[in-house]
Amino acid sequence: MQNWLPRAAELTAPDKPSALRRILHTTLGLEGVVGLLLLLFFVVIALFAPMIAPHDPNDFTGRPLERPGVVHPLGTNDVGQDILSELIYGTRVSLLIAVGVAIGTVTLAVLIGGTAGYAGGWIDNLLMRLVDVMLAVPRLPLLILITVLAGAGLAQMTLTMALLFWPGLTRVIRAEVQRLRGRPFVRLARHFGASPLHIFRRHLLPALVPLIVFGLVTAAGRAVAMEAALAFLGLGDPAAKSWGLMMRYALNLPGLLLTDRWLWWLLPPGVCITLLILALTFTGMALENRIDNRGQTR
Amino acid sequence: MRQQSGYKNRFSSYLLSLWVILTVNFLLPRLLPGDPLAALLDTDSGSYVFDPAVRTSLEAYYGLDVPLGQQYLRYLGGLLTGDLGQSIRLKQPVLDLLIKHLPWTLLLTLTSLSIASLIGLWGGSEAAWRRKSTLDKALVALSVVVSNIPAFFTGMILLIIFGATLDWLPLSGGRTAFARYDSPMAALWDYASHLLLPALTLTLALLGSKFLLVRSSMIGVLNEDYMLVVRAKGLPPNRAKRHHALRNAILPFIHHLAAHTGFALTGALIIETLFAYPGIGRLIFDSVVARDYPVIQGVFLVVALLVLSANLLADWLTVRLDPRLREI
Amino acid sequence: MKQCLLSVRDLHVNFDTVRAIDGVSFDLVAGESLAIIGETGSGKTTLARALLGLHPAGSVQGSIRLNGSELIGLGERDWGQVRWKTIALAVQNAASGFDPVYRVGEQIIEPMRQHLSLPNGQSRARALALAEQVGLTERHLHAYPHQLSGGEKQRLMLAMALSCDPDLLILDEPTSGQDMLSRERMIALLRRLRAERHFALLLISHDLAAAAALTDHTAVLYAGKLAETGDTRAVFTMPRHPYSWGLLNAYPNMTTSRDLSSIRGQMPDPTQPPSGCRFHPRCTQAVEDCRHREPQLEYHDGRQIACHLGGLQTLLSVQNLHKSFSLNGSGPLPAVRDVSLDILHGEVVAVVGETGSGKTTLGKLLVGLLEPDAGDIAFDHAPHQIQMIPQDPFESVNPLFTVQAIVQEPLDIQRVGTRIERTGVVRETLAAVGLPTDDRFLARRPQELSGGQLQRVVIARALVLQPKLLVADEPVSMLDPSEAARLMNLMKSIQNERGMGLLLISHDIALVRKVADRILVMRDGAIIEQGLSSVITSQPEHDYTRSLLAAAPAFDWFSHNGGR
Repeated sequence: MQNWLPRAAELTAPDKPSALRRILHTTLGLEGVVGLLLLLFFVVIALFAPMIAPHDPNDFTGRPLERPGVVHPLGTNDVGQDILSELIYGTRVSLLIAVGVAIGTVTLAVLIGGTAGYAGGWIDNLLMRLVDVMLAVPRLPLLILITVLAGAGLAQMTLTMALLFWPGLTRVIRAEVQRLRGRPFVRLARHFGASPLHIFRRHLLPALVPLIVFGLVTAAGRAVAMEAALAFLGLGDPAAKSWGLMMRYALNLPGLLLTDRWLWWLLPPGVCITLLILALTFTGMALENRIDNRGQTR
Repeated sequence: MRQQSGYKNRFSSYLLSLWVILTVNFLLPRLLPGDPLAALLDTDSGSYVFDPAVRTSLEAYYGLDVPLGQQYLRYLGGLLTGDLGQSIRLKQPVLDLLIKHLPWTLLLTLTSLSIASLIGLWGGSEAAWRRKSTLDKALVALSVVVSNIPAFFTGMILLIIFGATLDWLPLSGGRTAFARYDSPMAALWDYASHLLLPALTLTLALLGSKFLLVRSSMIGVLNEDYMLVVRAKGLPPNRAKRHHALRNAILPFIHHLAAHTGFALTGALIIETLFAYPGIGRLIFDSVVARDYPVIQGVFLVVALLVLSANLLADWLTVRLDPRLREI
Repeated sequence: MKQCLLSVRDLHVNFDTVRAIDGVSFDLVAGESLAIIGETGSGKTTLARALLGLHPAGSVQGSIRLNGSELIGLGERDWGQVRWKTIALAVQNAASGFDPVYRVGEQIIEPMRQHLSLPNGQSRARALALAEQVGLTERHLHAYPHQLSGGEKQRLMLAMALSCDPDLLILDEPTSGQDMLSRERMIALLRRLRAERHFALLLISHDLAAAAALTDHTAVLYAGKLAETGDTRAVFTMPRHPYSWGLLNAYPNMTTSRDLSSIRGQMPDPTQPPSGCRFHPRCTQAVEDCRHREPQLEYHDGRQIACHLGGLQTLLSVQNLHKSFSLNGSGPLPAVRDVSLDILHGEVVAVVGETGSGKTTLGKLLVGLLEPDAGDIAFDHAPHQIQMIPQDPFESVNPLFTVQAIVQEPLDIQRVGTRIERTGVVRETLAAVGLPTDDRFLARRPQELSGGQLQRVVIARALVLQPKLLVADEPVSMLDPSEAARLMNLMKSIQNERGMGLLLISHDIALVRKVADRILVMRDGAIIEQGLSSVITSQPEHDYTRSLLAAAPAFDWFSHNGGR
C-alpha cells in the first residue's frame, strides 16, 4: 500500500506554469505579433475614447455633410455629427460586442462541450445531436429574423450571437476533454474521491486554456464581422453607433459615390472593421499554430 | 454496417435539423419579447399595418386567435401547400416573391462558388506541388489576408473603383431595366455585365479559404506513402498530380464546400444589398426596412433548405468518390 | 564473370543540416542479394530512395552506376525510364503504399501501361499471373486497398513491384510489424520469387533473421556510413566491427538464452555527427585516434571493416597457461592445464565448472595474484585495470575499515586526484552500484552490512580505478536468490555502461547463461568446450557439459526428466 502513493502523487500534478506565461512564452510568429499589436491599438483607442475624440459623437457639432477640416478632421455626417468621433467611439461598440460574444460563446462551449466529453454516453449523444442540428442552421438569416422581431439592442444581439456561435467551438472542446479524461492522473483523482467539479476545475480547465483563448479570439472576430453585416443591413442598434451603422447611413445618402464623400465617410469605418477582424484572425492563427505545434495542450 | 448506418444517421440528422428549423421559424415570431405579431395589429405600435386586406391575410396566416398547437399544425399544413403567407409590403404571396428572386441569388452564388472552387483547386494543388517556394509562400500570405477581408468591404472597394471612378460597369440591378435584346448574345452580355462585380466580390470572399484548404489537403496527400510509390513507378508528374493526388485531396474539399454553402449564401445576401442585385438578399433588405416578417421568415426557410440540400449532396458525392465509405 | 549491376561510390545524401548518408560505397552483382542492416536513423530508407532518384536533386552527391551508366544528375524524364522498369521498390508500409481510391488491380497495371505499352488484355493477364504467383486471385485484384488484409496488401505490393520485371528489387523492411508466422511466409515467398525470376535483391531491414534467410551479402549501416560488409553468414556468426557485434548481441531470437542487452549510448544526432569514427562514443575499445580520424572501409580477412583497430580487439589473451601446486609430500597438483582463451572488448565470458576444476586458480592467475608456471597472459592495458571480485566479500575487506575507506583505498594507493575528489569518486561509484552515499553509510563497517551490500561495496572498490576487465569469482554464490539476481543485473549493466569486459567464474551455468556472451567449460584444469552461450546451452557437444546443464536448477519440479 505504501508503494503506490508517491507514484500517484507525481501523476496527479502536471506542472503548470502560469497560463498567461505559457501563451506568451513561445514565439507567436509574425502574424501573432501583428495581430496583437493591432488589437492593442484598438483597445487603447476604445479605453481612452473620451480623451482622444474631438467631440461627442452624439452632439450636432457642425453643419451636415461638411468636408474634412480642422474642426472635423473627417467631416460630418448627414445630421451634422463629427465622423472622426463616431469612428473612435465606434471602437467601443465593436469591442464590447466582441468581448460579450466571445465570453458567452466560450462559456457555453466549455460547459456543454465539457459535459458532453466528460459524461459520455447518452448525454454526449444528445448534446452532439444538438450541436449537429444547430450547425445546420444558417446563422445570418436567423440572426436577421431574431433581430427584426426582437429589436436591435446590443444586449440582445450579443446574446443571440453567443447562442449561435457556441456549437463550432464545442466540438473541439469536447474532443479535448475526452482525451484528457482518459489520462491516468484524472482517473487517479477520481479514485481519490474527487468530484467531477473538482476535476474540471483543477485538471481539465487549466489544460483547456489554450483552446479557450483561441476560442475567445475566434468568436470575437466573427462577432465583429456579424455585427457589421447586421448594421450594414440596417439592423444595427441605433443607440450604439457602430462602424457598420456608419456605413449604412453613408450608403443611404443618394449619390454618395458620385462625389468624393465616400472617402471620409464610407471608407474609414470599412477599413476599421477590416483591420479589427484581421487583428483578431491573425492572433487566432498564431494561437492555432501554437496549439498544433504542441500536439495539444501542455 | 457501420458506414451504412452512418449514412442513415446523417440523413436522420438532417431531417431533425429540418424539423427544428421549421419549428424555430414557427415559434420565433410568437415567442420573442415585444410580441411582434401583436404589434402588427396594434394601432399604437409603430408596425401597425394600415391596409385592412393585408391585415386580414396576416391574421389568417398567423392564426393568432387559435391555440398554439393548432397554429402549428396549420403552419405545417400550409408549408406543404406552399403557403408562406403574404408580404406586408408588396401584398403578394411570399412564395411568388421567393420564386421571382431566388434564381438571381442562385446565379450569383453558384457562379462564384464554381469559379472560386476551380481557382482554388487549380491554385491550391499547384501551390502544394511547389510548396515552400516563394510563389507558394506569397500565395498563402495573400490568401490569408484576402479571406479575412469582409465581403462587403471588398464589394465596397470594387463599387468605388469601377462604379464611382471608372464607370465601366453597371452599379446595380440584375439587368438593364426594360431592356429589349436584339440577340441572345446581347442578352447574355447584359446579364453578365451586371453579374460581374457582385460575382467578383463573392468569389474573392470565398477564394481564400478554398485555396488554403485544397493546398493543405494536397500537402497531406503528397506526404503519403502511396505518392512515393507513384513517383517510384516512373509515372509522369501530371498523372501523379491529377489522377492520384488531387483525386484524394478533393475529398475533404467537398465537405468544406458543403459547410461553406451557408457562408456563401450569407455573403451573397450582403453583396446583393450592396449592389442592389435582385436576389433574395435584396429582398430581405427591403423587408427588414419595412418589418415585413413573412418575407423574412420565408427567406430564412429557403436559405436553410438550400444549406441542408448542399450538405446532403456533399455527403452523397463523398460516398461516391471515396470507396472507403461504401463498405458494409 | 557476372555483370556488376549496381555500383555505388561515395554516396552522400543531405537534407538541410542532416547528413543522412555520408559516404557509402558498395557493389551489387546481377542476380545477387545484399542486405543493408541498421537501426532506425541509420539512413537505410534514405539509401533506398536515393537509388530511385526520389530525393530533391541538390541533396544527392556521389555516383550510382546502373549497368555502367550514371544515375545521379538524371532529369525526371530519364529517371522515368529507369524507375520500376529496371529498379523497383516495395515500401515498408504496404497498407499506405496503395492509393485508397483505386482498385489494386488498376494500380498494378498502371506501371505496365506506362513502361511496357501492352494492350489492355495482355496487361490484365500479366497482372493476374503476378497475383497468382504471390498466391492471390482475381478477386483480390478487383478489391480496393482497404478491403484487403495487411498480408494480402504486402504480397500485392510485391506483385506490383515485379510487374515490369525489374533487374533490381529494393525491399524496404518487408517484415517489420508482422507477426512471426507472416514473416515466415513472406520470407518463403521472397525466396521462391527470386528463384523464379532471378532479380537482384537489395534488402533494407533491421530484421536480422530475414536478412540472414534471404541474402548472400550484408552491409551494416551506422549513422550514414558503412561499418562492416561481407558474406552474410560470416558477418552474422562472427561480427568483427564493434557495432555489428553489439547489434547482433542485442537481437532477440529463439536461440538466444540471454536477456536482451543493448549497446550503450544512443544513435548520434544526424545534424552533428561525432568527430572521427561515428561509433566511437559508444565503442568499448575506442582509442585517441578514433576521436579524430574517420576510418575507411578496409579489407580484413575477406571482409570490409571500417575501424582503425581493424575490428573487435582482444582485451585479454591467454595462451597455454599452466599452474601447479605442490602439496606437502605428494607431487605437483596441476590446477590449470594448458588453458588458452580470449576475451574481446566489452564481452562477457563465463568459465563454468565444478569445485576443483581450477577456475578460481585461473581467475587469480589472470588478475595477477598468482604467477603462472608457463604460458602468456597478454592484456593491453595497465595491470591495475584488471580487477577482481572475490567470492566472499567479508574475507576481502579489512573489517576495521569503514565503507569509505574500503572503496577509496585504491585511489589513495594510486594517488589519484585530491582527497576531496577521491571522496567524490567514492560517492559516485557507490551510487552507481545502488548504495546510499550519505555520510552515515560511508562511516559504516563491514559487519553492519548485509552480504549483498558488502559485495556491492567490493564491486565499487573494484570500479574506482576504471578497470577494463572485471574478473568475478562466484560473486553471488553466498547471497540469497533475490539479492543474487539483483547483483548479477547490476554487474551486467555496469559492464555495459562502462564498456568493460567481464569474466564470470561460476559453478552455476543456469545463472551465467543469462548474462554471458560466451561460455567456457572447465574440468580438471582444462577447457573442454567453449562457444556462444546460446549454442552451448542448447546444443552442448561434450557429455560433461550436458551433465552440468542437466544438474542446473530448473523450475520444472513436476517433470521427471531432470529437465533444463
